[in-house]
Amino acid sequence: MSWLSDLLGPLKGFLVPLRQIRKGPVTRKYPQVKRVKPQRFHGRHTLNRYPNGMEKCIGCELCAGVCPANCIYVRGKDNPPDNPVSPGERWGFVYEINMLRCIFCAMCVEACPTQAITMTHLFEMSVTNRDDAIYTRTELLVDRDGTPNYPPHEDSPLTNLEELRKGDGWMRATSPSGRREYEGIVAWTPSARTGELPAERGQSSGTPQVSEDADG
Amino acid sequence: MTTQILTARMEAHPSDSHTIERYLDTGGYATLKKTVASSKREDIVEQVKASNIRGRGGAGFPMGMKWGFLAASDPKYLVVNADESEPGTFKDRQLLERDPHQLIEGIAIASFALGVNRAFVYIRGEYSKPARRLQRAVEEAHEAGYLGENIAGSGFSLDVTVHLGAGAYICGEETALLNSIEGRRGEPRLKPPFPAVEGLYARPTIVNNVESLSNVPWIVANGGEAYAAIGPERSAGTRMFSLSGHVKKPGNYEIVMGMSWRDLIYGIGGGIRDDNELKTWIPGGASSPWLIPEHLDTAITIDGVVEFGTMLGSGAVVVMDETTDVVAAAHSIVRFFAHESCGQCTPCREGTKWLQDILERIMAGNGRPEDVDLLLDVSDNISPGLVWPPAMTTICPLGPSATAPIISITKYFLDEVNAAIEGRQAAVV
Amino acid sequence: MRSMPPSKEGRQPLSDTKNAPEMVNITINGIQHEAVAGERVIIAAEKAGEYIPRFCHHPKLDPVGKCRQCLVEVEGPRGKQLLPSCAIYVTDGMVIDTQSDVVKKAQKGVLEYLLINHPLDCPVCDKAGECPLQDQTMTHGPGESRFVEAKRKFKKPIPVSDLVLLDRERCILCDRCVRVADQIAGDPLITFNERGNQTQILTFPNEPFASYFSGNTVQVCPVGALTSTDYRFRARPWDLEITPTVSLRDTVHSNAEINTSRGRVIRVYGATNDHVNDGWLSDKDRFSFGAINSDERVTTPLRKTGTGFEEITWADAIDTVSARLGAMIGTEVGSIGGANNTNEEAYALSKFMRTVIGSPHVDAQLGDGFEPQLAAAVIPRAKIDDIDAATTILVWGPDLKERLPVLYLRVRKAVRNGANLVVVAPTRTGLDAIATHVIRYRAGSGQDVIRKLANADKSMTAILETLAEGPVVTLFGRTSIAEDPRLAESVAAYGRTLDGAKLMPLLQRANVFGALDMGLAPNLLPGRISTTDTDASSHIEETWGPLPDALGRDTAAMLSGAVSGDIRALILVGADPVRDFPDPQAAEKALEEAEFVVAIDAFVTDSSRHADIILPAALWSEVEGTVTNLEGRVQVVGAALPPKGQARSVIGMLNDIATSMGAELTSFDVSVVSKEIATVAPAYQGITRDGIVFTSSGAGIVVPSQEAEIIVEMAPRYASMAPDAVPTEASGSAVIVPAQGTQPLGYIPTDQAVPMVTDRYTLHYAPAMYDDGVITRHAPSIADLVRDPTVGLNPRDASILAVANGSIVVVDGSVELPVRIDEAVPEGSVVLPFNHAATKGLQAVPAVTVEPIRDES
Repeated sequence: MSWLSDLLGPLKGFLVPLRQIRKGPVTRKYPQVKRVKPQRFHGRHTLNRYPNGMEKCIGCELCAGVCPANCIYVRGKDNPPDNPVSPGERWGFVYEINMLRCIFCAMCVEACPTQAITMTHLFEMSVTNRDDAIYTRTELLVDRDGTPNYPPHEDSPLTNLEELRKGDGWMRATSPSGRREYEGIVAWTPSARTGELPAERGQSSGTPQVSEDADG
Repeated sequence: MTTQILTARMEAHPSDSHTIERYLDTGGYATLKKTVASSKREDIVEQVKASNIRGRGGAGFPMGMKWGFLAASDPKYLVVNADESEPGTFKDRQLLERDPHQLIEGIAIASFALGVNRAFVYIRGEYSKPARRLQRAVEEAHEAGYLGENIAGSGFSLDVTVHLGAGAYICGEETALLNSIEGRRGEPRLKPPFPAVEGLYARPTIVNNVESLSNVPWIVANGGEAYAAIGPERSAGTRMFSLSGHVKKPGNYEIVMGMSWRDLIYGIGGGIRDDNELKTWIPGGASSPWLIPEHLDTAITIDGVVEFGTMLGSGAVVVMDETTDVVAAAHSIVRFFAHESCGQCTPCREGTKWLQDILERIMAGNGRPEDVDLLLDVSDNISPGLVWPPAMTTICPLGPSATAPIISITKYFLDEVNAAIEGRQAAVV
Repeated sequence: MRSMPPSKEGRQPLSDTKNAPEMVNITINGIQHEAVAGERVIIAAEKAGEYIPRFCHHPKLDPVGKCRQCLVEVEGPRGKQLLPSCAIYVTDGMVIDTQSDVVKKAQKGVLEYLLINHPLDCPVCDKAGECPLQDQTMTHGPGESRFVEAKRKFKKPIPVSDLVLLDRERCILCDRCVRVADQIAGDPLITFNERGNQTQILTFPNEPFASYFSGNTVQVCPVGALTSTDYRFRARPWDLEITPTVSLRDTVHSNAEINTSRGRVIRVYGATNDHVNDGWLSDKDRFSFGAINSDERVTTPLRKTGTGFEEITWADAIDTVSARLGAMIGTEVGSIGGANNTNEEAYALSKFMRTVIGSPHVDAQLGDGFEPQLAAAVIPRAKIDDIDAATTILVWGPDLKERLPVLYLRVRKAVRNGANLVVVAPTRTGLDAIATHVIRYRAGSGQDVIRKLANADKSMTAILETLAEGPVVTLFGRTSIAEDPRLAESVAAYGRTLDGAKLMPLLQRANVFGALDMGLAPNLLPGRISTTDTDASSHIEETWGPLPDALGRDTAAMLSGAVSGDIRALILVGADPVRDFPDPQAAEKALEEAEFVVAIDAFVTDSSRHADIILPAALWSEVEGTVTNLEGRVQVVGAALPPKGQARSVIGMLNDIATSMGAELTSFDVSVVSKEIATVAPAYQGITRDGIVFTSSGAGIVVPSQEAEIIVEMAPRYASMAPDAVPTEASGSAVIVPAQGTQPLGYIPTDQAVPMVTDRYTLHYAPAMYDDGVITRHAPSIADLVRDPTVGLNPRDASILAVANGSIVVVDGSVELPVRIDEAVPEGSVVLPFNHAATKGLQAVPAVTVEPIRDES
């Protein structure tokens, strides 16, 4: 019967692609079509603001201290009293992340006492110059409406604004700030990025509630 | 009120008992003259020791024993604690205002006995009239030769300085008082060294209460045994009680200890106002834990009340009737101590204010079920174990004093406290 | 006269006293330990390995027992009692429990109390990361707060002085800063205000916390309540790299640590060396590091052009210098300075001048000191520890508070512990307030005072009684730059006659004692030997080759030689004679006249701007090596940073010049140079940088002093260092005696005939702490603290001149300044600040004229 199997062998082989034809492609037409990333995706960082526009970063350098790749450089100084950049006494006037070194572990996000640094879903960060891989305040700081600085330009197919605005799930899953029972109590800060996001379901002790008044 | 040692003169001569004429007229300064002329110092100290008189300022330390601790190095000082600031206490005021010469004679005899040539009277700043009277009396005594150089020709000299405080309760603590006289912040000192070794200006110093010293002329004149024979053992002598609060006849009363609380409140005090029910009373000033009607028939003795976890303190009896909100009463006392804390040591500075804040929160209707435990634990961190006499984590007893009302309301009126926490109307109106 | 409460604990036993302290047995947590009787329990427990948490306790301050964090249970007659372990003392048989439930609960309770009103703004607090409150909350704290009430609020931060900011919210009221200011510095300018829960630290109204020692309060603060303006928010403690070093702002050489972050010095902290500075620093030590980061530093070699300077390469600079110097005869070259450098650099300079150039003209002093041999080898020489042990201290020299501030603290400590203090000076000094006796004399008539003291004049009876109580340590130096330097020698000679006498020479410039020890004086060779000592110098010649025969010139002679043409080239090594030499015009003229001037300097100064070539020098914190302080203690300075720009250490540049001139100098390696010193320089035998680092546990090594009256024979061999000569630390001993090293030179001060100055206005001309020195000027945080200049006049002189406070007078026809009428200025004297921008150019002469300006209109 070996001749039969010899004959059918190639035909069997052809059955594999025939079966796959029905299933459709597994690849996507990147960048026109993007994969939906998990909510806790570790992507590029942003520096967030409070609803009133103030920066959350206080230049405390805890992110730099905890960074295992030693890729963050922060320097703090006194807030100008008449026009403060952040609430309190201190603001980070230098904030740099070397994305070539970053291992996207999000320890910085965990260490941040004010949820100033969080991660987005952005992952397209190719550069043609090593210097461009060092992200400074200009790149990292979100707009006043909470939109991260997106590369390379607004109309790029790489940019999904909706996704960018949403993507702080990781932070919200690990820090207490989103949880209902902390609201209004010590250590509670409004949500990441900007504006007031409701507490996530499943983490909160009560019904998620959108708080209207902005806390500077 | 058969025996009157301190108040007989002022009662017999209500209009002029404070003048030197009246004082001399009623046999005053005779004891001093006799003492400086013919007594030996050691004998006077022995008389005071034999009298078993215990300090009337609050701690109840035997006065003779205290005198015995005075280090033998000159110069030494005698300081009279007239900083009577304990809420509810006003006995020294009467002694200063109505019979200052009795005190001066006591100071002079004590100074002679202790070998002191310089005495200071520290009067609380608010006592302007007593201070004026005492100052006048000191001047009169000077003129009459009972103070100053070479008293009554004996070679013994004594100067008395009247020093006015600036209105801080803590300066009633003896070492804070010494700091205040020296011009420093009124903060209690670390002990040891005790004042008897290193006190005012780092010299040996005895600090005695006004009432204690006012007893000295009588003790020396009549002998220590005679004094010791008055009243029960270990609570010898008469004692001034300042009765206040919801009684019909508030005021200062000199009584022989050993009488029952019922006799004091219902007999001498004339009963409760509007014939209400007695709820509780403070037996010895704001810093003493409270007593309740079940203690009415026990005897008033210095050691006896310790059994019920309190003290006779400065003899201020504040009576509260059934209409009293105990949480508010406790808050009032705690607020006083928080306000009067000197602030140098942590448990008192932070703890008393925290207690006040918690009580205020409860009174504002924001109490939480865990607040009773919190109150007790915060108190426990000021006065570990909440035992009596109190242990302390503080430098001086002011901090533990603030726990007295907390201990009292949680021990006797827990239901009411819980009711206040739960926001219900207090059990009584 | 004395206005200081004595310390509560009295004189502390010196670590090197021979009678050992009494030891007793105590029980801590059930285990028996030996402890020093009378020691604080908290310290005894720490030695026994039981750390008790604490905030207000500080070993150098009187106990106050305020924070209550260190409560322990002690068994007493009335059972176990909770007591603050910082305020009770060890007695025999004491039973202490630091671990019982009661103790633990009390400690947790106190920590909770401290935290309830603490803002917990650790992320922005400068102290976070090195904060005792944080650390002890982790080790002993309750973990969670039960406090839901509103916290105490204060305005934050408020400046209490130009250098210190106060955040009252963070303050835990431990009383440390108040005690440092009061007990240590003697400037009780901060204290508690209000009471109870509102208690707060504040300054007095209208009185800033203007103390020379304010920075120490920042360092002792256990929380971030006191922060210094120039460190605020600059870095976090975990960023800091720490380099142990000693401060070179004066000759005390206070131990310090340099904190750098990202290649910049951002903080200097005091380090504890009980033999030197007890951990304290002056504000000048602490805050002058700004000059290191200054943008005005010279960072490349510069060549003078017609209009200014042009930047050149090092190769170019070395070629030029070696060609010009090589074209001259050795004795036509002189070098001024070297006192701001390490011993190794000074040694290299000394060797460079004497062997490569062949010139004996070297001087590290700028005419502002005194006889180099007296400074280097006075006998019997006092150590700083001797001040603690002295019964009487005689201070006759510069105002210690202004010039040697940490030594002032040391004297103050001794007085507080019961020592007598006699201060002799022409005007008020910082020590007057605590002195037993103060003698004030008219500037220029100091000789009169010595004569009276020596002849037991009736007016001196009380003072002589005090001085009779030995041992007496005499601190001597020039009170003012206008004073005859020989007076200091007379003072030393007088001090030597006192009971149990020890003498401490007071010079102020950085490492001047080290420079003199390295032979940077016309009459000294490395290792404290005299140029006239042929036996000793022949030993040096073994290594160095022949020494120049000619007599060396000092700075004054070099400057005059430059004008006359005898000296053709001058090398300025970190020296600014135009500002520091008593006759500034002469110095300036000399630098203009000299054919060739090389300045090794970090800044373009009034002197180095005359240089043909400026070689950029590394500054303190950029060079490593050893330095020697005023007691002869050799300690190590560390390099925290590479030199700024192309700046270099003097060793490197001199080696390059020597090589270019075809000669050999030293190694480039500091350790090797240090070993060469240990071999060549007799007094430094066996004292090497590595030896100090590895064996002295940070205390440094005191160069063994020549105690004998007669100059004894030198140690037999200098040429090689025996292995057993490496110094070892005797247990607890301050002094490490190398096996063979002995100071060969012994200088016995003699009474000198100093002429009395009788002119109308004798000049007292001394700098204040914040003067117009190069470093101070370039350190932003202290540059503004320079006091306004005044002319101090006695009230009677002022009335004769008919001037009031603030009237402008002309001094010596050149300097116009307002008058300050002061009782403390003796009649016939005038007091002026030296090295101040306003007195620039005024010559330090014994007497000056003072004329009021009359308003013509």
